[in-house]
Amino acid sequence: MTFLRKLALTTALVAGLSAPVAAEDVKFGLLQDFTAVYTFVTGQYNQGQQDYLALANAEGALGDGNTVTAIVRDTGNQPQRGIEAYNRAKEEGAILFDFLSTPVSAAILDQAQADRNVVITPAHGRGDASDGTVFPYVFPMLPTYWAQAAALIEHMKTTGGLEGKKIAIVHIDSPFGREPGPILTALAEQEKFEFQAFPYASPGNEQSAAWSEVRRYRPDYVLIWGAGGGQAVSVRTAIQNGIAPEQIHSVIWLAETDAANVGPQMKGVKRFEATAAGTDHPIIQRIQEKVIDAGKGAGDQANVGNSYYNLGVATMAVAVEAARLGLESGGPLTGETLKAGFEKIAGYDAEGLMPPVTYTAEDHQGGGAGRVSEWDGEKWVPVSEWKASYPDLIRQVIKESAAKYAAEH
Amino acid sequence: MFYRLSGTYHTSYEADRRLWKIPTDRWLVIGLLVLALLAPLYVSPLYLGSYVLPWVIWSAAALSLTLLMGLAGQLHFGFAAVMAIGAYASIHLVRAGIPFEIALLLSGLIAAVIGAVFGGAALRVKGLYLVMATLAMQYLVDWVVVNIPAISGGAHATLRTPAVSFLFLPIESLAARYWLALAWAVLLTVFFMNVKRTSFGRALVAIRDKDFAAAVIGVDPFKTKLMAFFTSSFMGGVTGAVLAFCFYRAVTPEQFGFNVSIQLVAMVLVGGLGSVIGAWLGAGFVLLAPIFLTNLVSGLAAGGWVPVSQNFLSHLPLMIYGAMIIGFLLLEPLGLAKIYDNIRKYFLVWPFRHARS
Repeated sequence: MTFLRKLALTTALVAGLSAPVAAEDVKFGLLQDFTAVYTFVTGQYNQGQQDYLALANAEGALGDGNTVTAIVRDTGNQPQRGIEAYNRAKEEGAILFDFLSTPVSAAILDQAQADRNVVITPAHGRGDASDGTVFPYVFPMLPTYWAQAAALIEHMKTTGGLEGKKIAIVHIDSPFGREPGPILTALAEQEKFEFQAFPYASPGNEQSAAWSEVRRYRPDYVLIWGAGGGQAVSVRTAIQNGIAPEQIHSVIWLAETDAANVGPQMKGVKRFEATAAGTDHPIIQRIQEKVIDAGKGAGDQANVGNSYYNLGVATMAVAVEAARLGLESGGPLTGETLKAGFEKIAGYDAEGLMPPVTYTAEDHQGGGAGRVSEWDGEKWVPVSEWKASYPDLIRQVIKESAAKYAAEH
Repeated sequence: MFYRLSGTYHTSYEADRRLWKIPTDRWLVIGLLVLALLAPLYVSPLYLGSYVLPWVIWSAAALSLTLLMGLAGQLHFGFAAVMAIGAYASIHLVRAGIPFEIALLLSGLIAAVIGAVFGGAALRVKGLYLVMATLAMQYLVDWVVVNIPAISGGAHATLRTPAVSFLFLPIESLAARYWLALAWAVLLTVFFMNVKRTSFGRALVAIRDKDFAAAVIGVDPFKTKLMAFFTSSFMGGVTGAVLAFCFYRAVTPEQFGFNVSIQLVAMVLVGGLGSVIGAWLGAGFVLLAPIFLTNLVSGLAAGGWVPVSQNFLSHLPLMIYGAMIIGFLLLEPLGLAKIYDNIRKYFLVWPFRHARS
């Protein structure tokens, strides 16, 4: 069928005719972990993704009657189930994949590259995959953990200065928790602050040992680097140890649920955000109107507009935009043309839901811009503008790490 | 009728000691082996790569563990750590320039030595206390792998397997990877069937049944237990290396976490302790049932049969899966192997009712 379609298309092109192309159904594989480790984010994140795709179809975002379908499967964070789900979705025609799981992404990255399928790793996965020359088919899409650490450090600089200050980084003892290490080392030298790392054991239900050490260190700022249930424990234990909420700065994984778990003490805690929270955005409003109110929502209506929901919406908004641009060049959309579509995106901001992103063949991170927001007791309020922090340093770290990867393989 | 004899009657010790006491069994296994060998020819890449290949590898892992848990009766809740040692050792050895064939053996040896050291420390304890000791091994190995970048492969902790060939066959195509994994699994299967007939195997069984009684009849419990840990860890280490090179091709510490150890124990228990066919059936069930159920439930949902949220949809297969495990174990506490055995015995003498095994 595909062959025939290709043949027909080629003939039409050769003849210089504008042949009517059959409407196409673009398939995205959202093969995520709904049941094991990433449950704190997957439900809302995936709901946002599915709702956005429903909106895109309702509005005909891809034009020419083209539609986009999500293939959603649970992988339970197990690589062997992820591989099965990937192979099956690939056979069903999916050309873009989002696993939202480090072990599954790691096990499939090479295969997907070989198959020329796009893998998006928003807010998870390897930071050096931002180098599109080494990882042509991987799109981290949103600021990497390195860019997030840089943004939080820059925010500390603008609010209270950094010189001679002490920063404690309290992180989960895993490769993810160690990600900001190199950035902090480089920035400590440049900005003349000192920092110390305080790891706690996974999954982080109990962190008192680490925090009593932190109290002895008397930090001026605290960075918390964890995910899921451990984050609320971090904030709570920090406050118990005499750290003011205003001093606490978190990685992207701190959301409304955590605030509810911590309670009123949470007021003043800051976090990095790659997409705006809340329902006060044109896209979210239209989802509410055309998807949720039409009874086509993918889950609990209460989730609409919260941080992870909006994050999911933003990932699919970018992906659909890439598919639209990819389809513009004509012909059935493949992994290759979708990748080209991504690299045509310039200054896209999902109608204000996220900072303008621009992807190039070299930069698959999209610039790395984000901002810091603060919990005001009810919602997240932005306290800085969208911007990329220390972009040269981040670019250099990405480049070095990717070059090391390329040299090893 | 199906087996063309009514019960098993041996007239010589020779016949009683045979591996296949009934010819039909032998033909059945040979037939399955031929089917397995030819699988790349008639199984689609989707099913070969995501069902048959992992099944074969996990069966080898379950066989390795059931030697320790089923034959020697030593509980081990940290077997994924043993496989992790094998996987990481083999990758680093190949990267250091050692030929793959030798690296496989060496990685098995390294896993065996480390496994035996932990086993040795655990020899003074039994039962639940041994479970705790092996759990400690799981967490220690996890910690070491995560915290030493030289092992885990740096900040991102993903280590890709280099391109290798095994006896001049490049382990690159799906079929080649499948055949290597199959060869290892078949080797382990043959080993396991025969080890039960050796003095070592009988010593293991004696230790399992009562270790001081075994000591009374002249089996050295210390040496035998250590040997059990060593052998089983060797098999597990090589299986880990095969898993890394033939299936994942990129390893991260999470692939060998505690939950994987529990899965392995579940394979052995659901399949039937100490049974070859149990290891195969258990691995197949634990590995593939969740996948089949997920696809089934998703298919039903797509057809509009189960109108529920994605979250419930994802948990539904797990609920069915849990119920199936309980169901099987209630129906037959000795595992899937025993269920197979019951069916076989029924047909052995069919249309009559009673069989002596």
